[in-house]
Amino acid sequence: MSDNKTPVGSKGDGTFFKALIIDDSVFVVKQLSQILQSEKFEILGSANDGIEGFEKYKELHPNVDIVTLDITMPKMDGISTLEKIIEFDKNAKIIMISALGKEDLVKKALISGAKNYIVKPLDRDKVLSRIETVLKK
Amino acid sequence: MRVEYINPFVESSVSVIRETLGVEVKREQITLKSKAVPILDVAVIVGLVGQVEGRVLFDMKRETALKIASNMNGEKISEFDELAKATITELGNMITGRAVTKLSEMGYKFDVTPPAVFSGQNMEISDSEIEALIVPIETPMGRIEINVALREK
Ligand SMILES: [Mg+2]
Repeated sequence: MSDNKTPVGSKGDGTFFKALIIDDSVFVVKQLSQILQSEKFEILGSANDGIEGFEKYKELHPNVDIVTLDITMPKMDGISTLEKIIEFDKNAKIIMISALGKEDLVKKALISGAKNYIVKPLDRDKVLSRIETVLKK
Repeated sequence: MRVEYINPFVESSVSVIRETLGVEVKREQITLKSKAVPILDVAVIVGLVGQVEGRVLFDMKRETALKIASNMNGEKISEFDELAKATITELGNMITGRAVTKLSEMGYKFDVTPPAVFSGQNMEISDSEIEALIVPIETPMGRIEINVALREK
């Protein structure tokens, strides 16, 4: 991502994509915020468990352009959260970001409506290119 | 405990630490412990539930935890605060996640529970009904002990 390139977070009309980050780790929230903000995304909010994440999505709807969603979380896991958000808004753009790369879980997430799935540890370029792909669809 | 459970944890510890911290690591001799385990200073515990159950513990000195947290955050962290805790917890989460993915490819089906971290001196973990295998990993930031106790239901 070179400096003179249009930032990934740019919509191309002078405005920027808005993100919601759902992850129980404040470390991951910080890490993802930094990656996204460096490409001019606006972080609309974050949540540390699935229940809070779903509530935030509803509250911020229809302003959220992209959601990053963890799987292993307290109170409500990421798969249940994904199902709830998709039930509420079938057009939600959700990318799963998990330390778990189990095939059954990845399949389940994609069948349930996730647009992409990233396995941690996080790599800046991978995160940005996956998000870019999802946003352009 | 079956030895085949331990290898994915050893491999994922080495590879995740390498990738995340960008340092070389060396694994030491595996040891077996059947009694209560004293924790060093900081321990991250991740539970496993399903066909195989038990827990994995990542144990290290406070100084090591602070160095790792500083490395992963790209800034000096000198207090074991919320961010440091979350960072160390996430390292344990990533190692466990990769190991569980590997075990699932081998045909073992189970899930992980959200990791928890605790710290303090003179603490012990007593879950002695399951014997534990300990794999020490030597890093430039200090030693991390990966303590795995799993059994088939
Ligand atoms: Mg998590």
